Amino acid sequence: MTVVLENVTKVYNPGQPNEVWAVKGISLRINKNEAVVLKGPSGSGKTSLLSLIGCMSRPTSGRILISGRDVAKLPERSLTEIRRRTFGFVFQQFNLLKGITVRENIMLPLYPTGLSLTEIKARAEKVMESMRLSKRADFNVEHLSGGEQQRVAIARALINDPEIILADEPTAHLDTKLSEEFLRIIEEIKRSGKTVIIATHDPLVYDSSVVDRVIELRDGMIKETQ
Amino acid sequence: MRRHLMILEFALSCLCRRKYKNLALLFAFSLLVFILSSILLLTYALKKEAIEILQGAPEITVQRTVAGRHELIPVEYINKIKTIPGVGKVEPRYWGYYYDPFIGANYTLLGANRDMLRKIEILEGKSFFSEQKGVCIVGKGVAKAYFAEVGDRITIIGADGISYTFKIAGIFKTASDILTNDLIILSNDDIKRLFQIPTGFATDIVVEVYNPEEIETVAEKIKKLFPSTRPITREEILRTYESLFDWRSGMILTMFIAAVVAFVILAWDKATGLSAEERREIGILKAIGWESSDIMELKFWEGFVLSSLSFFTGLIGGYMHVFFFGAPLLSTALKGWSVVFPTLKLTPYVSAYQILVLLFLTVVPYMASTIVPSWKAAMTEPDQVMRG
Repeated sequence: MTVVLENVTKVYNPGQPNEVWAVKGISLRINKNEAVVLKGPSGSGKTSLLSLIGCMSRPTSGRILISGRDVAKLPERSLTEIRRRTFGFVFQQFNLLKGITVRENIMLPLYPTGLSLTEIKARAEKVMESMRLSKRADFNVEHLSGGEQQRVAIARALINDPEIILADEPTAHLDTKLSEEFLRIIEEIKRSGKTVIIATHDPLVYDSSVVDRVIELRDGMIKETQ
Repeated sequence: MRRHLMILEFALSCLCRRKYKNLALLFAFSLLVFILSSILLLTYALKKEAIEILQGAPEITVQRTVAGRHELIPVEYINKIKTIPGVGKVEPRYWGYYYDPFIGANYTLLGANRDMLRKIEILEGKSFFSEQKGVCIVGKGVAKAYFAEVGDRITIIGADGISYTFKIAGIFKTASDILTNDLIILSNDDIKRLFQIPTGFATDIVVEVYNPEEIETVAEKIKKLFPSTRPITREEILRTYESLFDWRSGMILTMFIAAVVAFVILAWDKATGLSAEERREIGILKAIGWESSDIMELKFWEGFVLSSLSFFTGLIGGYMHVFFFGAPLLSTALKGWSVVFPTLKLTPYVSAYQILVLLFLTVVPYMASTIVPSWKAAMTEPDQVMRG
């Protein structure tokens, strides 16, 4: 599954005094099974670009093609469907729901799919096992360490078996050891044939051998591609 | 179907997540429904009870008034009233109120006639011949207040200051507890003696009218024949009861308007905005593949479960309060005759219409307050919601 962006622009609060041009005419192509890093300082447009690729927001102008299909003008229902089937998100703050267990957090994306509870649980068990979370399954997420919380976030991103994993500053709250563990997981994900797109300014990530390409952003534009 | 069940299951899990907040909400909501339902159930049951009593009441009761106050009526009026076309039986009635200072309660003393004694259902003991002196039959409340059983004697002090004793022949039951409880039935002669009613006079006169359509006309004719009388039709009494209970329940509802307003403010506060945490969670759900309609359904279930649980807790509480415990929290204000009336066991009448109104006034605003802001948040792009 390829992702193609053609002259994509994203403006927040257009015409308002607080108007922000987050992305300015970016064009790029990300191939299947590629591990790409979007690198750049805060405010460079990494997260906005990741949101656009992941169909979490629509571009102000330009085209976003997922497997050749322009998603920018699709209705909300179709966008959600693409988000659900194609992408798995790992957020900077992990964005887990407090007060519920690890298992429930991981099962969340599958609740509205119509799958049976048995099937959902089976998938959750499988993904928890691969993330070494089985022993923590019935713990509430707020009682876990940072590394464990991130593994829960990755497990949740994987439960739908998406083709593309998007991660926004995944190592921002992790120490070196946990960051390295994260990269090992990413390597495994990549090895399973999935595409990985990571927004980060952590050198440990963009210098990693697992990364195929680094796209440097500044002021909403591509500065350099390595 | 499976999808809805899974969302419902998650909604229940979400309610448990905010246990204390939701328990507090459940308590406040249930309390409001408890108060409102208690008032509505009590008013309605009292109204129905009164209506039931009046079903057996005479079509017209003729009272004489002097200077606007109730006076004894000459029995000789009966002969003239009987001549009015359409009039059936016309009989004098002898009755009055008696306050017993030792028990601190009011009772109604009523002179018996054959028809009345035939209709009364005796629970214990037996009835008596309408002319038999020195005996009485009493309502359950009276027997209880005197700690008396069949065969015991009760003492009533007459208007002449003399104590008269009456043997309890039986304890009776009628259609309504309101009637049974405070009533003592004696012979007419005993009543006349107790209240010192002069010969040739009665407390009032009851008139039977064959055709209900003619009641008003007959009442007008009686008024014309005897200008000093006030013919009271059964319909008038019914209307008076209804307006009395409506006024009383309106008064209590006004007192609790503050509670209703507080609830509306709470609902409004919820409706106008979500907490940052709630908005973030909606964003997360959208980002991981939930549709706006899924989120709305989740919020619907959350609101529905909480509000229905509160509604039925409050309603069942209100029902128990009114029909099992005699509405101790409202009785003084709403029943008004609590001194007269030692105990009151109301027949549980429930109006489906009132329950629906209550449901509409409490559950619907709450549901709206839960769904509207979530709908607004769910319609926004997930990254916007998460960025706040």
